[in-house]
Amino acid sequence: MSLNGKRILIAKPGLDGHDVGAKIIALALRDAGADVIYTGLRRSPDYIARVAVDEDVDAVGLSILSGSHKELVAETVRCLEELDASDIHLFVGGTIPREDQDELREAGARAIFTAEMPLDDVVAAIDADLAS
Amino acid sequence: MNEVSRNPRRALSRALSRIANADVSETLAQQNASTPATLSRIGITGAPGAGKSTLIARLAHLRKGVDRKIAVLAIDPTSPVSQGSILGDRIRMDSIADDPDIFIRSIPSRRAHDGLTDNTADLLNAMEGHGFDEVILESVGVGQAEYTIRTLVDTVVLVLLPESGDAIQAMKAGILEMADIYVVNKADLPGAELLESHIQQVAERQSRNGWTPPVICTTRSDPAGFALLDKAIRDHAHWRATHTDETAVRRARARYQAHGLIARRIDEILEDDDGGLLDLDPRGLFDALHAKLKPDMED
Repeated sequence: MSLNGKRILIAKPGLDGHDVGAKIIALALRDAGADVIYTGLRRSPDYIARVAVDEDVDAVGLSILSGSHKELVAETVRCLEELDASDIHLFVGGTIPREDQDELREAGARAIFTAEMPLDDVVAAIDADLAS
Repeated sequence: MNEVSRNPRRALSRALSRIANADVSETLAQQNASTPATLSRIGITGAPGAGKSTLIARLAHLRKGVDRKIAVLAIDPTSPVSQGSILGDRIRMDSIADDPDIFIRSIPSRRAHDGLTDNTADLLNAMEGHGFDEVILESVGVGQAEYTIRTLVDTVVLVLLPESGDAIQAMKAGILEMADIYVVNKADLPGAELLESHIQQVAERQSRNGWTPPVICTTRSDPAGFALLDKAIRDHAHWRATHTDETAVRRARARYQAHGLIARRIDEILEDDDGGLLDLDPRGLFDALHAKLKPDMED
């Protein structure tokens, strides 16, 4: 397994101020060989999409703990489309209730990761998705 | 993935990826001799934690203007273990992150050990023709020996920290002799005055053809220092316009680029080899590499 040469943006949209999870994922992806860019806290979907374009990433991982995941995912997908970048893969991580996950997938999330998933599984899933 | 995007910013961003990821053969195939260097190139270098990224954010904000667009290429180290990287410079450029007139691109250092990245020369060339007026290149946090940036940019700004005061006295050679402008950053910390006086002496020794590198103190809270730095860069550009041998600059850049390509090609050959080459004696290895270089470079 190797994410060598893959560029991944880890982004924190919305208002929650906790980025321990985002940073752990960022380091795990780096250790799997990826080039990882982190946005910092409280970014707008519009900002995240613009950074994704300027940095030419293969994937964006949104870390959302605020409960606003439906709105934030939909808005990020819309912003990426506007910038002709809907081919960038979108992942979502955080506190995402099971009953919301299908809706996020329909909106455009390629995979959804929650806190109870082992880190290796998350990295393997991202690796498999980007290799496809 | 390679089609041209209707979003020009995406097209540029993809072009940069193609260049950054190109192996030696691809790099050679992508050479475009007709691109003249028109952008001014500012290089910011210094030790890890010296505050290069934060300083660039302040500087880019000052140097952009009506119809003046700035690009920032920020290089962060690649892990020699995983080959991955955390590209963290952008977070420290928070204050300009939302500015559509400033383009920031984070770049991993990859194989390069000179404070830059593979294909830096080509990445800089690729910034031509996209409406930018200036490109600011941020090196990896470096020690005294990594001064390759000197060759590739017009103005080298060396960022130093007050705590490095004593070390500076011992540091006689290397990047310290290569800067056009010295910045004592975080100058509100203890030791700043001492460092400033040490660097002032260093700067006076570097004086040549009418340019004595200025020593500028900057602190986060005081905009005046950054304004002085902006002015110093303008003064240097002005001085440079009449005191630079452009032929020598062009030749030095060509030499760096050729040297880098050949060194990387040798790495590619050795990585593809099963180890037999490295068991040869030095002369045999040299001859074998020499023989292998040519066919590949002609295809």
